[in-house]
Order: sequence, then C-alpha cells, then structure tokens
Amino acid sequence: MSKLKLSGVAKSYGATVALSRGDLELEAGEVHVLIGSNGSGKSTLCKIVAGSVKPDSGEVLLDGNPVTVTGPQAAKALGIGIFYQELSLAGHRTVEENICLPDLPMRGPFIDRKALSQRAARYIALFDGVTGQGFSADATVDSLRADQRQLVEIMKALATEAPILIFDEPTSALDRSQVERFFEILRRLKENGRAMVFISHRMDEIFAIGDRVTVIRDGATVGTSRISEAKPAEVIHLMVGEQEDLVERQAPASAAQPSAGDAALTGKHLTGPGFADVSFQVAKGEILGFGGLHGQGQSAVLRAIFGASTVDSGEVLLGGERFTPKNPRQAITHGIAYVSGDRGRDGIIQGRPILENLTPVHFLRERLFLARPSALRAKAQPAMGSLRTKFGGFALPIGSLSGGNQQKVVIARWLIDRPDVLLLDDPTKGIDLSAKADLFSLIRELAAQGLGIVLYSSEDAELLVNADRILVFNGGRITRELTGTDRTRYNLYEAAYEAAA
Amino acid sequence: MMSAVAFFKQPLVVALALIAALLLLGETLSPGFASGQQILRLLIVAALLGIVAAGQNLVILGGREGIDLSVGGVVSLSAIIAGNLMDGSNAGIPVAILGCIAAGAFFGLANGLGVTLLRIPPLVMTLGMLGVLQGLLVVIRQGIPSGKAAPGLSEFVTQPVLFGLPGIIWLWIAIGLFMAFLLKRTVFGQRIYAIGSNEHSAFMAGVPVGVIRVSLFVLSGVFAAIAGICLLGYSGSSFANVGEQYMLPSIIAVVFGGTPLAGGKGGYTGTMAGAVLLVILQSILTTVNIDESGRQMVFGATLLVLMLFYGRGKALRT
Repeated sequence: MSKLKLSGVAKSYGATVALSRGDLELEAGEVHVLIGSNGSGKSTLCKIVAGSVKPDSGEVLLDGNPVTVTGPQAAKALGIGIFYQELSLAGHRTVEENICLPDLPMRGPFIDRKALSQRAARYIALFDGVTGQGFSADATVDSLRADQRQLVEIMKALATEAPILIFDEPTSALDRSQVERFFEILRRLKENGRAMVFISHRMDEIFAIGDRVTVIRDGATVGTSRISEAKPAEVIHLMVGEQEDLVERQAPASAAQPSAGDAALTGKHLTGPGFADVSFQVAKGEILGFGGLHGQGQSAVLRAIFGASTVDSGEVLLGGERFTPKNPRQAITHGIAYVSGDRGRDGIIQGRPILENLTPVHFLRERLFLARPSALRAKAQPAMGSLRTKFGGFALPIGSLSGGNQQKVVIARWLIDRPDVLLLDDPTKGIDLSAKADLFSLIRELAAQGLGIVLYSSEDAELLVNADRILVFNGGRITRELTGTDRTRYNLYEAAYEAAA
Repeated sequence: MMSAVAFFKQPLVVALALIAALLLLGETLSPGFASGQQILRLLIVAALLGIVAAGQNLVILGGREGIDLSVGGVVSLSAIIAGNLMDGSNAGIPVAILGCIAAGAFFGLANGLGVTLLRIPPLVMTLGMLGVLQGLLVVIRQGIPSGKAAPGLSEFVTQPVLFGLPGIIWLWIAIGLFMAFLLKRTVFGQRIYAIGSNEHSAFMAGVPVGVIRVSLFVLSGVFAAIAGICLLGYSGSSFANVGEQYMLPSIIAVVFGGTPLAGGKGGYTGTMAGAVLLVILQSILTTVNIDESGRQMVFGATLLVLMLFYGRGKALRT
C-alpha cells in the first residue's frame, strides 16, 4: 500500500488548466522525483498535497484512506511537510526561530526559548561545515545569502519531522558541497522509512538521489519509472515531448577559438563587495563563461559592471573606452545589457502588460517621450519572435506567462535596441528546458553578430556547452582559465573545489 | 470578451452605477436634488476635488506606499496666495496663477526629495509637510482674513462659459484628457506604472526611479495649487484651512476609482467618477442635516469599506 497516492487530481485557475490529471504514488522509504518543464503542473501538484491549493477533482489517499487536505495546518496534522520553492521565511526573525516556526515549543503561553534553540541546533548541525560565512543560529534571515536562506528553508522542512516530505526545487541556490550534504541527509531519512518527493531541474541531481521518477507534461502525469532503469535522455524525451534535440550538444570546439578581434569589455583588477582583483577580457563575438561554485563573486562582478552595485577599485573598459559604472541607466545607455536569473526581483514588472515589460530599455536608449503602442508592438515583435516566445497578446499581464516565457520577455527587452555587451547572470535559473534551448541558440546568434557576452550559470553543463572560454571563480577571485579542449567537467570541478575554504 | 459579472466588477462601472443610485436617493429625499442646476453645482464642487485627486492619484500610482497628505495644506496656501496676489482685480490673475503653481511645485518638490533622498516614508513626510503648511498659514494670516478673488476668476469657476458649462468643468475635462494621455501614451506615464509595480525591476531596466517619484510629488503640489486657485474663485475669499477638507476625500476618490493604495495600476478616469460620487454623497449627507463631523465619519468609514472590497490581497487558498 502506498504511503500517499494521488489519482486524477485536477486544478484549473479560470480558463487556465494547471493540472488536468495528476497521478502520483509515493512509497515509504523512497525519494520520488517529480520532473517536468515549468508550467507542467508539478508545483500545483505539490501545493495540493500540502493543502495550500484545493483540487477541483480527484482523490488523495493517505495510507490507503481518502483524505481531504483542507489547509496547511491540516497537512501538518496528517504528517506532510513541505519545502516551498518560493521561500517562505520570516526575514526579520533569526535562523533558529524560522526553523521552529511551524511548531514553536511553548511553555504555557510563552515560547520556550531554550527548547527552541536546542531543537534548531539539531537541524543546523546537520549542515555543519557547509553553511558558509555569516551563518549562525541567531543571524536574521535577511542578513543571509540566497543559498543560506535555502538551507534554512530545508532545515525548517526537516524540523517538521513529517513522515512525508515534499521538496520543491530545494537545491536551486545551493553549491555542490551543500547539495551533497543535503543528499546524505535524504538518504538517512530514506533508511528511516520517510517518504519524500523531490523536484529539481538538474538531471545529475535527479539521478544521484532519486529512486523513482514521475514525469509530468502539460498538467498530466505521463509516466513513472525506476531511476535505475531510466536514462537521462529518456526522461528528457518524456518531459519535452516533441523537442528531441535538447539532449546535451557537444561543445562547439571548432567555433570556440576566440578571434583576436576587438575587445568588447575589459575588466582590470576589479575589486568590490564579494570580489577582488578580477581581470578579464571579452572579445566581440565571444561567449565568456564565469564558472565555479555558487556565490563566488560571479554575480557580484556582473552586477557591479552593470552599475547595480559598487566597484571599489580597478577599471572597466568598454570597447577600449574607460567606463565608470554609476547606475544601470548609465550602463544601458553605454550599450550594456544585463539579464538576471532572479526575474521576480530584477526582471519582470509584475501586474503590468507584456508590452510594458518589453519597452523600458527601448525608451531609455531611444530617449523617447511618447509611447505609441502600435509602434512599440512593431518593435517588440521581432525580439519576441527571435526567442520563440509563446504569448497570447501584448496586452496580457506578464503574470499570465509561464516562468520560462516571462524570462524570455525580460531578455527580449534588451534585443529591441542591440546592445554591445550582454551580461547573463544565471539567466536560466528555474526555467524549463525548451526555454533554455531557445535562449542559448539566441545567445550563439547574438555572439555571431558581434556582441561580447559574459555568461554566468549555476549549471555547469550550460557553461561547458555554451561558453567559448571559462573563467573559474573561487572566493571572489578568478583562479583558473579553461580554454579549448581544457573545458571539461573534470577541470571545472577541480578548479572550483581546489581552493574552496 | 468580458463576462457580465466581470463588467460589473470594474471599479469605474461600480462608481457610475453608484452615482446614478445616489442621485435617485437624493431626489427621493429632497425633490429637486437631481435637477440640472443642482447637478451642475455638484459638478463644480466635484471638479475642485477631482483636480486635487489627480495629483493624489499620480503619487499613489507610483507605489512605495505613495500618498500625499499635504494636499489640503497646499490648497489652503494656494487660495491665500492667489487671494492676496489678485486682491479682487483681474489684472492680478496671471501673477497669482504663476505664484500659486510655483508654491505648489516647491512644496511638492520638498515632499519628493524627502521621500527619495532621505527615504522618509511618504505618509510621514507629507503629514509633516501638512503640519509645516498649517503653521505657515497661521503665520501668514495671523488670524485676519485677507485677499479677494478677482471677478474674472469667480466667473470662470461659477458661470457658464461654453455650452452652458462653467470654465472649471472644461478645465477638469482638460485635466482628465491630459491625465489619460500622460498615463497611457507617454514614456513618463509608463514609467510611473513600472516603478509602482516593481521599483527594483524598473531600476534595473533603466527607469530613473528617483526623478519620476519626485516629479509625481511636484505634480501633486501643482494640482493642489490649481485647485486652491479655483477654490478661491468658488468661495470668493479665502478663509482658514479651506483646503483641509480635501485630504481624505482625495484619497477616497482615487481608491474608489480603482487605483489600489499599493499603486502600479489604475488610472484617472475612475478617480473622476469617484470624485463625483463623493460630492453627491456629501451633498446627500448635508441634505439630511448631518453636520461636518458626521460627514467626516461617513467618509472615513467609506474608505475602510473600500479597503475591504479592493484593498485586500488575494486569499491564500484558491
């Protein structure tokens, strides 16, 4: 008998069908991977199990008994714990308070601080040695880095001690050592008979930790198989359906030789918050990769060049000219484009139409005064087309699109007026595989047109396949340059790990 | 295609339906309430409120808890400056207009700089500014009424100038068109929505967030100043704190018209309907002999009820 069984679960939001036929069987003592491109309905499925979304139809069986999960509290009572993809932490409270938040230890009407600290310490200790600088039980969550916050969220889910645990993309911000530790913990929990659902976009992680995999496509479960009997290519095939050419391409070694052409962007001894003595050069037509573990200064350098954070010393040259980044506005007028992976914070203008999300950069670069929708639509159409963006109309709100298409809109805003330099700061974070493929074919095309492109990606495969040259960051500094045939996963890992403190 | 339910849920439609209902109610309570002459008088009063609400609307659209509580003080100050500069003579009107707009822009600029550079929350900044203005009014007037409206101004506000409508109605219509153009067809307008929806994304896409936000407060000051001049024309002379009655209604009109206090969406057309609605409500309350304090209570309650309908976030469980 399955620990948890969902059959024929469906949920619609108005005319949008988020889930048409969700089936899932979860056994005790397994890690069950749920995979599917963004918008396929896996998050909705998780939310139904967690009680934060009420299904329109279908059945949920817990230990063979039909149950109705009426809300998060009911889910907790039934023994279901969940890690949310959108972080659900209280920013002003401390790490230990957040960990114990779902079930605060009380003494009479007051919180038992001592018990709280002791309980939290148990879960913090699980990640001893990989939490990184500045992480402590009494640090406020707001003061932590993204990966550290994600660890707190994991600890919070673990602290529920629920027999059923659901992890919705728990590793998206974590570095390799943190992921490995997390997997060790999951394996231990598995031995203790816990049932876990694990969602991730990273194929290597799925095969490292999963026992079985269920693939969801377009709101319906399309198949479940044992991981030991599945191949990545098969899973991808199931997931993307029609598009088979998404299997990892071989590195384009032939096109890789950077032309000794003009430099598009040069950084000389750049030092600022989170990075030190960073020097590099991107030629026109070249895709330069920034690699390494998460949070080693790659994003910080890109944001600083874009003027979104400060540079303390060193200089930036744009096409040979000295350029001092003051703010994004100035960087944009100088032909720099920046795409962030955090589209909710840095990218989309939530609640506004797609067209208004496409035009702000164009307004600035053309110094426009009037906004004529017909003219703007005509300008935006080719940019959207070059990314094969699926959308119902420019007047629809940006929120009506899936994550991958939202990110395409954010990227398209930079293509209306061609920039000289394109900075990509983990641009594919949390978007589906087909959107990734569209994005990278566009990037290659833009490079061919003579743009200098810097790509930072938290997925090593993306870097290895797409970058002509890779600079590996470690502790805020560049520690290795990988060119030509040196661009191997082995070299990248070795460089990323060797000096890691 | 919009369903019938969705159609009737639009704030503008709701406001227009309520206007009709209130007019009917007024007519029942006091025959003649909805006569042409009376409606025209109501529209003049609504125009005064609507002009103040135009600035309020812009500030609220810009987000980051944007609100301008100092509008009432600017209206009062403007009425006094205008009264003294024209002092009953038509020749003084141009100078008076320039002087008032300059004063309104000045206080708006101070609000805007306080909010952007010093990062003072708009609620606190403009409330403080209201206090400054109230003090300033006492100093200027020293309790003695002074200044008179020019006959040309009074005529503009109260007498028909074109198609039987007074100049102030035409002015209000012009402002309505200006606002619609500004918000829908200019880069400035689009940038207002952008900073109101996601300030950080807007910043990263090259929107001059600070400049826009300061401009919104300046415009709010200017609109309040224009309303102050018109108010002087309407009442003939300026008296203590004439403008104070506009603070709360200007906010209610905006929210009634479908612009949430969080900003980022909405527009001015709904606000105009909201202003008319409030003035009719006020008039009905007067008709049934509810005094100023009672009216204030009704207005406050109205805002709270509106918040109940429009202001709530989406329910977690859907």
